Amino acid sequence: MTVVIGFEGSANKIGVGIVRDGEVLANPRRTYITPPGQGFLPSETSKHHRGVILTVLREALQQAALKPADIDCVAYTKGPGMGAPLVTVAIVARTVAQLWRKPLLGVNHCIGHIEMGRLITHANNPTVLYVSGGNTQVIAYSEKRYRIFGETIDIAVGNCLDRFARCSVQISNDPSPGYNIEQMAKKGSQYVELPYTVKGMDVSFSGILSYIEEVAHKMLGSGQCTAEDLCFSLQETLFAMLVEITERAMAHCSSQEVLIVGGVGCNLRLQEMMRIMCMERGAKVFATDERFCVDNGAMIAQAGWEMFRAGQLTDLADSWITQRYRTDEVEVTWRD
Amino acid sequence: MELRNIEMAARGGGEDCKKEDKLEFRVLHVPLPSEREASIALGSLAPDREPRKGGITKELSALGNVLSVRWTADEARILRVSVGSFLDNLALVLETMEQFGPSVPL
Repeated sequence: MTVVIGFEGSANKIGVGIVRDGEVLANPRRTYITPPGQGFLPSETSKHHRGVILTVLREALQQAALKPADIDCVAYTKGPGMGAPLVTVAIVARTVAQLWRKPLLGVNHCIGHIEMGRLITHANNPTVLYVSGGNTQVIAYSEKRYRIFGETIDIAVGNCLDRFARCSVQISNDPSPGYNIEQMAKKGSQYVELPYTVKGMDVSFSGILSYIEEVAHKMLGSGQCTAEDLCFSLQETLFAMLVEITERAMAHCSSQEVLIVGGVGCNLRLQEMMRIMCMERGAKVFATDERFCVDNGAMIAQAGWEMFRAGQLTDLADSWITQRYRTDEVEVTWRD
Repeated sequence: MELRNIEMAARGGGEDCKKEDKLEFRVLHVPLPSEREASIALGSLAPDREPRKGGITKELSALGNVLSVRWTADEARILRVSVGSFLDNLALVLETMEQFGPSVPL
Protein backbone atom coordinates (compact mmCIF):
# COMPACT_ATOMS: atom_id res chain seq x y z
CA MET A 1 0.00 0.00 0.00
CA THR A 2 1.45 3.36 -1.04
CA VAL A 3 -0.10 6.68 -0.01
CA VAL A 4 1.07 9.91 -1.62
CA ILE A 5 -0.01 13.46 -0.85
CA GLY A 6 0.28 16.02 -3.70
CA PHE A 7 0.43 19.81 -3.58
CA GLU A 8 -0.49 21.89 -6.64
CA GLY A 9 -0.57 25.68 -7.03
CA SER A 10 1.22 26.67 -10.24
CA ALA A 11 -1.58 29.00 -11.41
CA ASN A 12 -4.70 30.33 -9.71
CA LYS A 13 -5.89 27.00 -8.33
CA ILE A 14 -4.48 25.65 -5.05
CA GLY A 15 -5.18 21.98 -4.38
CA VAL A 16 -3.99 19.22 -2.05
CA GLY A 17 -4.79 15.63 -3.02
CA ILE A 18 -4.19 12.21 -1.48
CA VAL A 19 -3.94 9.05 -3.57
CA ARG A 20 -3.61 5.45 -2.38
CA ASP A 21 -2.85 2.79 -4.99
CA GLY A 22 -4.97 4.35 -7.72
CA GLU A 23 -7.75 5.54 -5.41
CA VAL A 24 -8.30 9.26 -4.91
CA LEU A 25 -9.00 9.63 -1.17
CA ALA A 26 -9.24 13.42 -1.09
CA ASN A 27 -8.91 16.29 -3.56
CA PRO A 28 -9.94 19.66 -2.06
CA ARG A 29 -9.15 22.81 -4.04
CA ARG A 30 -9.62 26.59 -3.99
CA THR A 31 -9.56 29.00 -6.95
CA TYR A 32 -8.35 32.60 -6.89
CA ILE A 33 -10.96 34.42 -8.98
CA THR A 34 -10.37 38.00 -10.13
CA PRO A 35 -13.05 40.56 -11.11
CA PRO A 36 -14.17 40.64 -14.79
CA GLY A 37 -11.57 42.27 -17.02
CA GLN A 38 -8.66 41.35 -14.73
CA GLY A 39 -6.22 38.49 -14.90
CA PHE A 40 -4.34 36.99 -11.95
CA LEU A 41 -0.86 38.31 -11.13
CA PRO A 42 1.90 36.23 -9.49
CA SER A 43 2.23 38.12 -6.18
CA GLU A 44 -1.53 38.30 -5.56
CA THR A 45 -2.01 34.67 -6.56
CA SER A 46 0.77 33.67 -4.19
CA LYS A 47 -0.86 35.69 -1.41
CA HIS A 48 -4.17 33.91 -2.06
CA HIS A 49 -2.49 30.51 -1.86
CA ARG A 50 -0.62 31.41 1.35
CA GLY A 51 -3.94 32.34 2.93
CA VAL A 52 -5.71 29.04 2.24
CA ILE A 53 -3.13 26.29 1.71
CA LEU A 54 -2.98 25.07 5.31
CA THR A 55 -6.78 24.92 5.50
CA VAL A 56 -6.88 22.90 2.28
CA LEU A 57 -4.17 20.58 3.61
CA ARG A 58 -6.15 19.98 6.78
CA GLU A 59 -9.27 19.28 4.69
CA ALA A 60 -7.39 16.74 2.59
CA LEU A 61 -6.20 14.80 5.66
CA GLN A 62 -9.68 14.91 7.20
CA GLN A 63 -11.48 13.79 4.01
CA ALA A 64 -9.02 10.93 3.56
CA ALA A 65 -9.31 10.13 7.29
CA LEU A 66 -5.54 9.82 7.48
CA LYS A 67 -2.79 10.97 9.83
CA PRO A 68 0.58 12.27 8.60
CA ALA A 69 2.14 8.97 9.70
CA ASP A 70 0.02 7.17 7.06
CA ILE A 71 1.60 9.15 4.22
CA ASP A 72 4.52 7.54 2.37
CA CYS A 73 5.63 10.44 0.18
CA VAL A 74 5.09 14.19 -0.21
CA ALA A 75 4.79 15.30 -3.85
CA TYR A 76 4.55 18.89 -5.08
CA THR A 77 4.66 20.77 -8.38
CA LYS A 78 8.25 21.58 -9.27
CA GLY A 79 7.11 23.40 -12.42
CA PRO A 80 6.24 24.73 -14.92
CA GLY A 81 4.08 27.65 -13.82
CA MET A 82 4.12 31.02 -12.12
CA GLY A 83 7.11 31.58 -9.85
CA ALA A 84 5.69 33.07 -6.67
CA PRO A 85 2.74 30.64 -6.33
CA LEU A 86 5.02 27.67 -7.07
CA VAL A 87 7.36 28.78 -4.26
CA THR A 88 4.51 29.17 -1.77
CA VAL A 89 3.31 25.64 -2.36
CA ALA A 90 6.81 24.11 -2.47
CA ILE A 91 7.63 25.71 0.88
CA VAL A 92 4.69 24.03 2.59
CA ALA A 93 5.45 20.70 0.93
CA ARG A 94 9.10 20.86 2.07
CA THR A 95 8.09 21.83 5.59
CA VAL A 96 5.61 19.01 6.09
CA ALA A 97 7.98 16.52 4.46
CA GLN A 98 10.61 17.45 7.04
CA LEU A 99 8.15 17.61 9.96
CA TRP A 100 6.66 14.23 9.15
CA ARG A 101 10.06 12.83 8.07
CA LYS A 102 8.77 11.70 4.66
CA PRO A 103 10.57 11.64 1.30
CA LEU A 104 9.95 14.54 -1.11
CA LEU A 105 9.15 14.40 -4.85
CA GLY A 106 9.14 17.29 -7.31
CA VAL A 107 6.60 16.59 -10.06
CA ASN A 108 6.22 18.03 -13.56
CA HIS A 109 2.78 19.66 -13.74
CA CYS A 110 2.09 18.45 -17.30
CA ILE A 111 2.94 14.87 -16.36
CA GLY A 112 0.57 15.22 -13.41
CA HIS A 113 -2.26 15.91 -15.88
CA ILE A 114 -1.25 12.98 -18.09
CA GLU A 115 -0.97 10.45 -15.26
CA MET A 116 -4.30 11.47 -13.75
CA GLY A 117 -5.91 11.23 -17.20
CA ARG A 118 -4.47 7.72 -17.66
CA LEU A 119 -5.65 6.65 -14.19
CA ILE A 120 -9.22 7.92 -14.50
CA THR A 121 -9.90 6.92 -18.12
CA HIS A 122 -7.78 3.73 -18.33
CA ALA A 123 -6.66 4.86 -21.79
CA ASN A 124 -3.96 2.43 -22.91
CA ASN A 125 -1.45 4.46 -24.91
CA PRO A 126 -3.22 7.59 -26.17
CA THR A 127 -2.14 10.63 -28.11
CA VAL A 128 -2.53 13.28 -25.41
CA LEU A 129 -3.88 16.75 -26.06
CA TYR A 130 -2.86 18.86 -23.08
CA VAL A 131 -4.72 22.19 -23.19
CA SER A 132 -4.93 24.73 -20.38
CA GLY A 133 -4.45 28.40 -19.59
CA GLY A 134 -0.70 27.90 -19.45
CA ASN A 135 0.03 25.02 -21.82
CA THR A 136 -0.93 23.65 -25.24
CA GLN A 137 0.89 20.50 -26.28
CA VAL A 138 0.23 17.31 -28.23
CA ILE A 139 2.12 14.53 -26.48
CA ALA A 140 2.78 10.86 -27.13
CA TYR A 141 4.73 8.40 -25.02
CA SER A 142 7.78 6.83 -26.60
CA GLU A 143 10.78 5.11 -25.04
CA LYS A 144 10.75 6.51 -21.51
CA ARG A 145 9.70 10.06 -22.46
CA TYR A 146 6.50 11.96 -23.01
CA ARG A 147 7.48 13.44 -26.38
CA ILE A 148 6.01 16.72 -27.56
CA PHE A 149 4.78 16.22 -31.12
CA GLY A 150 3.17 19.62 -31.52
CA GLU A 151 2.61 22.72 -29.41
CA THR A 152 1.76 26.37 -29.41
CA ILE A 153 4.53 28.59 -30.69
CA ASP A 154 3.27 31.51 -28.62
CA ILE A 155 0.41 31.51 -26.09
CA ALA A 156 -1.69 28.66 -24.75
CA VAL A 157 -5.22 28.16 -26.07
CA GLY A 158 -6.63 28.76 -22.58
CA ASN A 159 -4.66 31.98 -22.36
CA CYS A 160 -6.24 33.10 -25.65
CA LEU A 161 -9.71 32.34 -24.26
CA ASP A 162 -8.98 33.99 -20.87
CA ARG A 163 -7.63 37.17 -22.45
CA PHE A 164 -10.52 37.37 -24.89
CA ALA A 165 -12.84 37.23 -21.87
CA ARG A 166 -10.94 40.17 -20.36
CA CYS A 167 -11.24 42.43 -23.39
CA SER A 168 -14.24 44.62 -24.22
CA VAL A 169 -16.65 41.69 -23.69
CA GLN A 170 -15.75 41.63 -19.95
CA ILE A 171 -16.88 38.05 -19.31
CA SER A 172 -16.95 36.92 -15.67
CA ASN A 173 -14.02 34.84 -14.33
CA ASP A 174 -16.36 32.93 -11.99
CA PRO A 175 -15.96 29.94 -11.97
CA SER A 176 -13.53 30.37 -14.88
CA PRO A 177 -13.58 32.54 -18.03
CA GLY A 178 -13.45 29.44 -20.25
CA TYR A 179 -16.57 27.93 -18.68
CA ASN A 180 -18.52 31.16 -19.25
CA ILE A 181 -17.32 31.41 -22.85
CA GLU A 182 -18.55 27.84 -23.39
CA GLN A 183 -22.03 28.68 -22.05
CA MET A 184 -22.24 31.86 -24.12
CA ALA A 185 -21.05 30.05 -27.25
CA LYS A 186 -24.10 27.76 -27.09
CA LYS A 187 -26.24 30.85 -27.68
CA GLY A 188 -24.16 32.15 -30.61
CA SER A 189 -25.76 32.00 -34.05
CA GLN A 190 -23.47 33.96 -36.36
CA TYR A 191 -20.04 32.64 -37.40
CA VAL A 192 -17.49 35.41 -37.58
CA GLU A 193 -14.48 34.40 -39.65
CA LEU A 194 -11.23 34.48 -37.69
CA PRO A 195 -7.63 33.73 -38.71
CA TYR A 196 -6.82 30.01 -38.72
CA THR A 197 -3.18 29.47 -37.80
CA VAL A 198 -1.95 25.89 -37.83
CA LYS A 199 1.78 25.68 -38.57
CA GLY A 200 2.55 22.07 -39.49
CA MET A 201 2.50 20.15 -36.23
CA ASP A 202 2.24 23.37 -34.21
CA VAL A 203 -0.33 26.13 -33.61
CA SER A 204 -0.26 29.87 -32.97
CA PHE A 205 -2.87 31.84 -31.04
CA SER A 206 -1.55 35.36 -30.46
CA GLY A 207 -2.64 36.53 -33.91
CA ILE A 208 -6.19 35.27 -33.40
CA LEU A 209 -6.29 37.02 -30.04
CA SER A 210 -5.26 40.43 -31.41
CA TYR A 211 -7.69 39.98 -34.29
CA ILE A 212 -10.69 39.08 -32.13
CA GLU A 213 -9.93 41.82 -29.59
CA GLU A 214 -10.13 44.34 -32.43
CA VAL A 215 -13.22 42.69 -33.95
CA ALA A 216 -14.93 42.70 -30.54
CA HIS A 217 -14.28 46.39 -30.16
CA LYS A 218 -15.58 47.23 -33.67
CA MET A 219 -18.45 44.78 -34.20
CA LEU A 220 -19.93 44.87 -30.69
CA GLY A 221 -19.88 48.65 -30.84
CA SER A 222 -21.76 48.73 -34.16
CA GLY A 223 -24.06 45.85 -33.19
CA GLN A 224 -22.97 43.67 -36.14
CA CYS A 225 -22.68 40.66 -33.85
CA THR A 226 -23.17 39.66 -30.24
CA ALA A 227 -20.63 38.58 -27.64
CA GLU A 228 -22.21 35.11 -27.90
CA ASP A 229 -21.43 35.02 -31.65
CA LEU A 230 -17.79 35.86 -30.90
CA CYS A 231 -17.56 33.16 -28.22
CA PHE A 232 -19.01 30.64 -30.67
CA SER A 233 -16.70 31.70 -33.51
CA LEU A 234 -13.60 31.69 -31.32
CA GLN A 235 -14.28 28.21 -29.93
CA GLU A 236 -15.00 26.75 -33.38
CA THR A 237 -11.76 28.17 -34.78
CA LEU A 238 -9.47 27.34 -31.85
CA PHE A 239 -10.85 23.84 -31.37
CA ALA A 240 -10.69 22.98 -35.08
CA MET A 241 -6.99 23.88 -34.98
CA LEU A 242 -6.43 21.64 -31.94
CA VAL A 243 -8.29 18.75 -33.58
CA GLU A 244 -6.14 19.13 -36.70
CA ILE A 245 -2.79 18.94 -34.91
CA THR A 246 -4.02 16.07 -32.76
CA GLU A 247 -5.08 14.14 -35.86
CA ARG A 248 -1.69 14.82 -37.45
CA ALA A 249 0.09 13.36 -34.42
CA MET A 250 -2.24 10.35 -34.39
CA ALA A 251 -1.40 9.70 -38.04
CA HIS A 252 2.33 9.81 -37.25
CA CYS A 253 2.01 7.43 -34.32
CA SER A 254 -0.74 5.21 -35.81
CA SER A 255 -2.66 5.88 -32.61
CA GLN A 256 -6.28 4.89 -32.02
CA GLU A 257 -6.79 6.79 -28.77
CA VAL A 258 -6.96 10.47 -27.79
CA LEU A 259 -6.77 11.66 -24.20
CA ILE A 260 -7.69 15.29 -23.52
CA VAL A 261 -6.27 16.77 -20.30
CA GLY A 262 -5.93 20.26 -18.82
CA GLY A 263 -8.56 22.84 -17.90
CA VAL A 264 -9.66 23.51 -21.50
CA GLY A 265 -10.30 19.76 -21.75
CA CYS A 266 -13.47 20.31 -19.67
CA ASN A 267 -15.02 21.98 -22.71
CA LEU A 268 -17.75 19.73 -24.09
CA ARG A 269 -17.63 21.30 -27.56
CA LEU A 270 -13.93 20.49 -27.83
CA GLN A 271 -14.65 16.93 -26.73
CA GLU A 272 -17.47 16.69 -29.30
CA MET A 273 -15.29 17.96 -32.17
CA MET A 274 -12.52 15.56 -31.18
CA ARG A 275 -15.04 12.70 -31.03
CA ILE A 276 -16.24 13.44 -34.58
CA MET A 277 -12.68 13.35 -35.92
CA CYS A 278 -11.92 10.13 -34.00
CA MET A 279 -15.08 8.41 -35.23
CA GLU A 280 -13.98 9.09 -38.79
CA ARG A 281 -10.70 7.32 -37.98
CA GLY A 282 -12.21 4.53 -35.88
CA ALA A 283 -10.47 5.92 -32.79
CA LYS A 284 -11.69 6.70 -29.24
CA VAL A 285 -11.67 9.90 -27.19
CA PHE A 286 -11.00 9.93 -23.47
CA ALA A 287 -11.63 12.91 -21.22
CA THR A 288 -12.15 13.59 -17.52
CA ASP A 289 -14.54 15.90 -15.68
CA GLU A 290 -13.66 19.22 -14.07
CA ARG A 291 -12.48 17.54 -10.84
CA PHE A 292 -9.42 16.23 -12.70
CA CYS A 293 -9.19 18.35 -15.89
CA VAL A 294 -8.69 21.51 -13.92
CA ASP A 295 -5.44 21.76 -11.90
CA ASN A 296 -5.75 19.69 -8.71
CA GLY A 297 -3.57 18.18 -5.99
CA ALA A 298 -4.50 14.55 -6.66
CA MET A 299 -2.94 14.61 -10.13
CA ILE A 300 0.38 15.59 -8.56
CA ALA A 301 -0.09 12.86 -5.97
CA GLN A 302 -0.80 10.32 -8.73
CA ALA A 303 2.26 11.24 -10.79
CA GLY A 304 4.20 11.23 -7.53
CA TRP A 305 2.83 7.75 -6.75
CA GLU A 306 4.17 6.43 -10.09
CA MET A 307 7.53 8.15 -9.64
CA PHE A 308 7.91 7.04 -6.01
CA ARG A 309 7.17 3.41 -6.84
CA ALA A 310 9.75 3.61 -9.63
CA GLY A 311 12.32 4.74 -7.07
CA GLN A 312 12.55 8.44 -7.87
CA LEU A 313 13.09 11.01 -5.09
CA THR A 314 13.99 14.68 -4.82
CA ASP A 315 16.70 15.89 -2.45
CA LEU A 316 15.81 19.00 -0.48
CA ALA A 317 18.69 20.91 -2.07
CA ASP A 318 17.38 19.98 -5.55
CA SER A 319 13.76 20.81 -4.73
CA TRP A 320 13.86 24.35 -6.23
CA ILE A 321 10.92 25.31 -8.38
CA THR A 322 11.25 26.33 -12.00
CA GLN A 323 8.93 28.34 -14.22
CA ARG A 324 10.03 26.44 -17.32
CA TYR A 325 10.01 22.65 -17.27
CA ARG A 326 9.57 20.76 -20.51
CA THR A 327 7.38 17.65 -20.46
CA ASP A 328 10.09 15.63 -22.22
CA GLU A 329 12.75 16.54 -19.62
CA VAL A 330 11.43 13.88 -17.24
CA GLU A 331 12.56 10.28 -17.53
CA VAL A 332 9.37 8.21 -17.41
CA THR A 333 10.90 5.27 -15.58
CA TRP A 334 7.53 3.86 -14.53
CA ARG A 335 6.45 2.88 -18.05
CA ASP A 336 7.94 0.40 -20.50
CA MET B 1 6.59 33.46 17.31
CA GLU B 2 6.27 37.26 17.20
CA LEU B 3 6.53 38.38 13.58
CA ARG B 4 6.74 42.00 14.73
CA ASN B 5 10.00 41.25 16.56
CA ILE B 6 11.50 39.77 13.39
CA GLU B 7 10.61 42.86 11.35
CA MET B 8 12.10 45.20 13.95
CA ALA B 9 15.28 43.15 14.04
CA ALA B 10 15.54 43.41 10.25
CA ARG B 11 15.21 47.17 10.27
CA GLY B 12 17.31 48.05 13.29
CA GLY B 13 19.49 45.24 14.60
CA GLY B 14 22.51 43.32 13.39
CA GLU B 15 25.20 44.44 10.99
CA ASP B 16 23.33 46.65 8.57
CA CYS B 17 23.28 49.44 6.06
CA LYS B 18 26.87 49.60 4.87
CA LYS B 19 27.01 51.59 1.67
CA GLU B 20 30.25 50.50 0.01
CA ASP B 21 30.39 50.62 -3.78
CA LYS B 22 26.56 50.81 -4.01
CA LEU B 23 26.06 47.45 -2.23
CA GLU B 24 23.52 47.19 0.57
CA PHE B 25 23.90 44.54 3.28
CA ARG B 26 21.23 43.26 5.60
CA VAL B 27 21.60 40.50 8.12
CA LEU B 28 18.60 39.02 9.84
CA HIS B 29 18.77 36.59 12.75
CA VAL B 30 15.56 34.70 13.46
CA PRO B 31 15.42 32.77 16.76
CA LEU B 32 13.21 29.68 16.46
CA PRO B 33 11.85 27.52 19.29
CA SER B 34 14.34 24.70 18.65
CA GLU B 35 17.34 23.61 16.61
CA ARG B 36 15.19 21.16 14.63
CA GLU B 37 12.77 23.90 13.66
CA ALA B 38 15.60 26.17 12.54
CA SER B 39 16.93 23.32 10.43
CA ILE B 40 13.48 22.68 8.93
CA ALA B 41 13.03 26.39 8.15
CA LEU B 42 16.39 26.41 6.42
CA GLY B 43 15.47 23.30 4.42
CA SER B 44 12.21 24.88 3.26
CA LEU B 45 13.49 28.37 2.44
CA ALA B 46 16.97 27.75 0.99
CA PRO B 47 16.33 25.73 -2.21
CA ASP B 48 14.60 28.36 -4.41
CA ARG B 49 16.73 30.88 -6.27
CA GLU B 50 15.94 34.58 -6.19
CA PRO B 51 13.46 35.27 -9.03
CA ARG B 52 15.40 38.34 -10.16
CA LYS B 53 18.44 37.46 -12.28
CA GLY B 54 20.83 40.13 -11.06
CA GLY B 55 21.19 42.76 -8.40
CA ILE B 56 20.44 40.58 -5.39
CA THR B 57 21.91 37.59 -3.55
CA LYS B 58 20.60 35.91 -0.46
CA GLU B 59 22.44 33.45 1.81
CA LEU B 60 20.68 31.37 4.42
CA SER B 61 22.28 29.45 7.28
CA ALA B 62 21.30 27.93 10.60
CA LEU B 63 23.35 27.77 13.79
CA GLY B 64 21.67 26.16 16.77
CA ASN B 65 18.12 27.48 16.90
CA VAL B 66 18.90 30.64 14.94
CA LEU B 67 18.17 31.01 11.23
CA SER B 68 20.35 33.69 9.63
CA VAL B 69 19.85 35.47 6.32
CA ARG B 70 22.37 37.70 4.63
CA TRP B 71 21.42 39.85 1.63
CA THR B 72 23.60 41.74 -0.84
CA ALA B 73 21.79 44.10 -3.19
CA ASP B 74 22.58 46.84 -5.67
CA GLU B 75 19.60 48.98 -4.75
CA ALA B 76 17.41 49.46 -1.71
CA ARG B 77 14.17 48.77 -3.61
CA ILE B 78 15.41 45.38 -4.83
CA LEU B 79 16.43 44.57 -1.28
CA ARG B 80 13.02 45.58 0.03
CA VAL B 81 11.16 43.29 -2.39
CA SER B 82 13.37 40.33 -1.49
CA VAL B 83 13.11 40.91 2.27
CA GLY B 84 9.34 41.31 1.99
CA SER B 85 8.91 38.03 0.10
CA PHE B 86 11.26 36.27 2.50
CA LEU B 87 9.25 37.39 5.53
CA ASP B 88 6.00 36.19 3.90
CA ASN B 89 7.56 32.81 3.19
CA LEU B 90 9.07 32.59 6.67
CA ALA B 91 5.68 33.34 8.22
CA LEU B 92 4.20 30.51 6.14
CA VAL B 93 6.89 28.07 7.35
CA LEU B 94 6.29 29.07 10.97
CA GLU B 95 2.53 28.71 10.61
CA THR B 96 2.92 25.30 8.95
CA MET B 97 5.21 24.10 11.74
CA GLU B 98 2.76 25.40 14.32
CA GLN B 99 -0.25 23.68 12.77
CA PHE B 100 1.36 20.43 11.56
CA GLY B 101 4.38 20.04 13.85
CA PRO B 102 4.97 17.05 16.12
CA SER B 103 3.26 18.66 19.11
CA VAL B 104 -0.11 18.88 17.26
CA PRO B 105 -2.21 15.70 17.44
CA LEU B 106 -3.79 14.96 14.05
